[in-house]
Amino acid sequence: MASRRRVGDDADVGCGTRGVLASIVALAAGCYTGVGEADGDDAAVDSGSASAADDDGGSESGDASELCADPSTDTSPLRRLTRSQYDHTIRDLLGITGNPSQQLAPDEKVGAFFSNASAPVSELLVEQYMRVAEDLAIEAVANMATLVPCDPAGADPSACGAEFVDAFGLRAFRRPLTADERADMIALFEAGLAAEGFAGGFTLVVEGFLQSPQFLYHLELGLPPTDAEDVVPLDSFELASRLSYFLWDSMPDDELFAAAAGGGLATADDLRAQAERMLDDPRAGEAIASFHMQWLKLEKLPALEKSAVAYPSFVPELRDAMAAETARFADHVIREDDGRLATLLTASYSFLDGPLFALYGVTPPADHDPMEPVALDPTQRSGILTHASLLATHAHVDQSSPVHRGVLVRENFLCQQLSPPPPDVDVVPPDLDPNASTRERFEQHRTDPACAGCHELIDPLGFGFEHYDGIGAYRAEEAGKAIDASGEIVGGDAADPAFDGVIELGQMLAESEQVRTCVAQQWFVYGFGRTRGDGDDCSFDAMYTAFAESDHDIRELLLAMVATDSFRHRRLEGGP
Amino acid sequence: MSTRLSRRRLLGGLGVAGLGLPLVPMLEREVEGAVLPKRLILLCSANGTIHEQWKPGFDGTTLQLSPILAPLEAHKQDLVVVDGLGWRYDDGPGVDHMRICMLWNGTPMLEGNEFQNNTGDKPCGWGAAISVDQFIAGQLGQETPFASLEFGVQNGGAHIYSRVSYAGPNQPIPPEDDPYAMFDRLFSEFGHSEAELARLRARRQSVIDVVKGNLDGLQTKVAAADRLKIEAHLDAVRKIEQRLDSTVTCEVPMLGEQFDPSANDNFPLVSRLQIDMMVMAMACDLTRVASLLWASAGSNIRYTWLGLETQHHTIAHDSSEPARNQIAAINTWHAGELAYLIEALKAVPEGEGTMLDNTLIVWGNELADGWTHAQQPSPIVLAGSAGGALQTGRYLDFGEQRHNRLLVSICNLMGLPEVTSFGELDDGSGPLELG
Repeated sequence: MASRRRVGDDADVGCGTRGVLASIVALAAGCYTGVGEADGDDAAVDSGSASAADDDGGSESGDASELCADPSTDTSPLRRLTRSQYDHTIRDLLGITGNPSQQLAPDEKVGAFFSNASAPVSELLVEQYMRVAEDLAIEAVANMATLVPCDPAGADPSACGAEFVDAFGLRAFRRPLTADERADMIALFEAGLAAEGFAGGFTLVVEGFLQSPQFLYHLELGLPPTDAEDVVPLDSFELASRLSYFLWDSMPDDELFAAAAGGGLATADDLRAQAERMLDDPRAGEAIASFHMQWLKLEKLPALEKSAVAYPSFVPELRDAMAAETARFADHVIREDDGRLATLLTASYSFLDGPLFALYGVTPPADHDPMEPVALDPTQRSGILTHASLLATHAHVDQSSPVHRGVLVRENFLCQQLSPPPPDVDVVPPDLDPNASTRERFEQHRTDPACAGCHELIDPLGFGFEHYDGIGAYRAEEAGKAIDASGEIVGGDAADPAFDGVIELGQMLAESEQVRTCVAQQWFVYGFGRTRGDGDDCSFDAMYTAFAESDHDIRELLLAMVATDSFRHRRLEGGP
Repeated sequence: MSTRLSRRRLLGGLGVAGLGLPLVPMLEREVEGAVLPKRLILLCSANGTIHEQWKPGFDGTTLQLSPILAPLEAHKQDLVVVDGLGWRYDDGPGVDHMRICMLWNGTPMLEGNEFQNNTGDKPCGWGAAISVDQFIAGQLGQETPFASLEFGVQNGGAHIYSRVSYAGPNQPIPPEDDPYAMFDRLFSEFGHSEAELARLRARRQSVIDVVKGNLDGLQTKVAAADRLKIEAHLDAVRKIEQRLDSTVTCEVPMLGEQFDPSANDNFPLVSRLQIDMMVMAMACDLTRVASLLWASAGSNIRYTWLGLETQHHTIAHDSSEPARNQIAAINTWHAGELAYLIEALKAVPEGEGTMLDNTLIVWGNELADGWTHAQQPSPIVLAGSAGGALQTGRYLDFGEQRHNRLLVSICNLMGLPEVTSFGELDDGSGPLELG
């Protein structure tokens, strides 16, 4: 097999991103920890971006497609369901809504996204799985009529139990049961049936499935290797699950199972067709919302607390409306509007409810439907960067935070990881001062050389957000002075790095190849639950190309992703 | 010798300073032989201390407690204040707060990229070795339903910052942050009748048999690197299985009014509830080894109940005098929690004395000083004599030595004299001379 070199591996490739990287490192030595990828090879990550982001397109020559002729992917570690995957799966499997996963130990992360890819389970977690499964099994009895495909009170309860095991087992293990699995579960049913009647057998079987590794893990064994290849195709049921957990954050539906059973997921086009169907389903909206909550680092929003003195209006209803706004907005842009990254970053409409109207200074329309967009003042609100969810989460309890907001843009929009401040410097936000603006109070970062190196990468981004206070309300002035929201994307790829206010910043980010590549990278990590490795270059280039050719339509990015080799294959560890 | 707990004494005892939680165990346990079981409790708090306000005076016979340790005045004869240890270490993966796991395992973290954000220029993976509580639980924990219990107070997510107990390399043990979930875990079966209990056990056993079979079947199918995960899962299932037949009888305690254990201002309530339950679990002999982590490394708790609105970590990075005093106040509050734990253990009579006599408590901190991020001298406080093995009421300054020696001493005090080194950074100098 030809050794695969990716386009950007050569140091002399004239790539914007690499050049930018070098300039950042030179600018802020010791502050920059490399791009947010975990394969230990700095060049690797942005080489992918380099090729994808290559302006002239000249490097996408025949060589590249030749290099990508054989399917390639990187190793995918065994992962457990995340909490939200667990909840959504329980809902779709048992018809039980709620958040049973809140009783489970929290998820690990890979990059910005939840993924249980590294540490094994603890005894505590396994016990939690047991208790949650026991509770859910009892709750499921209420839904027995829909879950059991025969009459439990009929003449042959054993036969009905076996029918239930087959029907439920396919959905719980997300593939048909093996003969051994089937026999075990039927024996379990019989034990419960004998002791406590049909419901006893039913609950035991539910508990057994919910505690089994085939349910709790994303098991991807792949088809047996046919020759010396170290990359093998996933089987059709594994593909169905990849699709459903990527696009729905949940298990496959009946149509996906039928497609998997009937050879309907054999080609890349088949997967794309399924993905198109799935994106039309409301469940895709939940996955999209979940992606954005993690990408924008909003996990703490549901429990966010603010100083009651500084922000008396910050009540739980406001907080909930903030979270709902971002979830609904992202879903709407991607699934109902034009899907473009630029729209996500610049749209002057959003979705308001309850006290969020007052925060945004908008009068609620008569007969307001929170699912319908509301036009906002385009000089004040423009895309997700101006969402109160983001602004309030990335702020202090009693004031805004140019640093937190700047770090969010630097790390999660530009995919450039920063180091924290060295231990022996003050990181306390400067005291509130009725006579000084936030910007003035943070001036020390600029004047103190110990701070300036890193904060040059952070503060000029974060100052752009200064029109928004610590809960995201718009302000024209602070401390009696007009807000100065001028900023600069230091080390960015714009010809003119200066901007005035976050609305201009959003427009610039939407035009930035760095940002577009970063967003594609974030979706990759989210969708695969792992970091991107060398073997994924061809796949990443393919999805990025589709993204670029569609005027950066995120839907096209997602549809292209499911058709990639990385999506459809697994790499055998320790293979040839 | 038999140990019999009277209901009334426990009521009076455990109610001392806390929530008035009606913790009423009915311990009717025969202790076989003359040797009472030893217990180990590890406590960890965050962001360092202020050494000059922590270090006590000692004239050779009597401790003069420092401002931070003042809440322990009534118990100073039960303490050994240990100074001069630490894990100064400049190489290897990870830095600073990420090294919290080294407190109890004395070993640098795994190489890796799991934790690279906000952590400095050196990323790392999870902890690389078993922690001392888990090592001891593995040796001594077989006689109780739970080999060990891990308690937390608002630790948050699964991160290197929020894990102190490790079952082995890359095997962090999540602490239970939710006292209500911990309650269910410990006591939910106690309310059942014998018949109900038998039914529950039979059902669990039958499910466990199937689950074990499924895990076993995967061992040979998954990739080599993933096999460890399946093995760990199987191991956990087996431990739960072993617990099915435990026959501890303990009256179910009553929980007070529910509150949100994740709300910042409920931090003290969660702390007390977790301590109550830890003592209860030990009084009922559900376990003999426990760890408690107050928030995580680099904790961002706001100690509003002390009048502090700023986040803990932020205060720690402020070198001004008022901020240093605030860090001291936070540490003083934690000393008060230790005092509460000691009181609760003293309230449980055992043998000729109390349960504290047969317990070793070790209170450590992820850092020595939050301002400099130094990990030396680490502020260590021991309490209880581990069944008379430790002579208490003293201050010992070891100058500047590896804290691995403390980990060895913990093993020795807990009845494992054969342990002579612990953790990768151990320099072979054996246990501390604790006299």
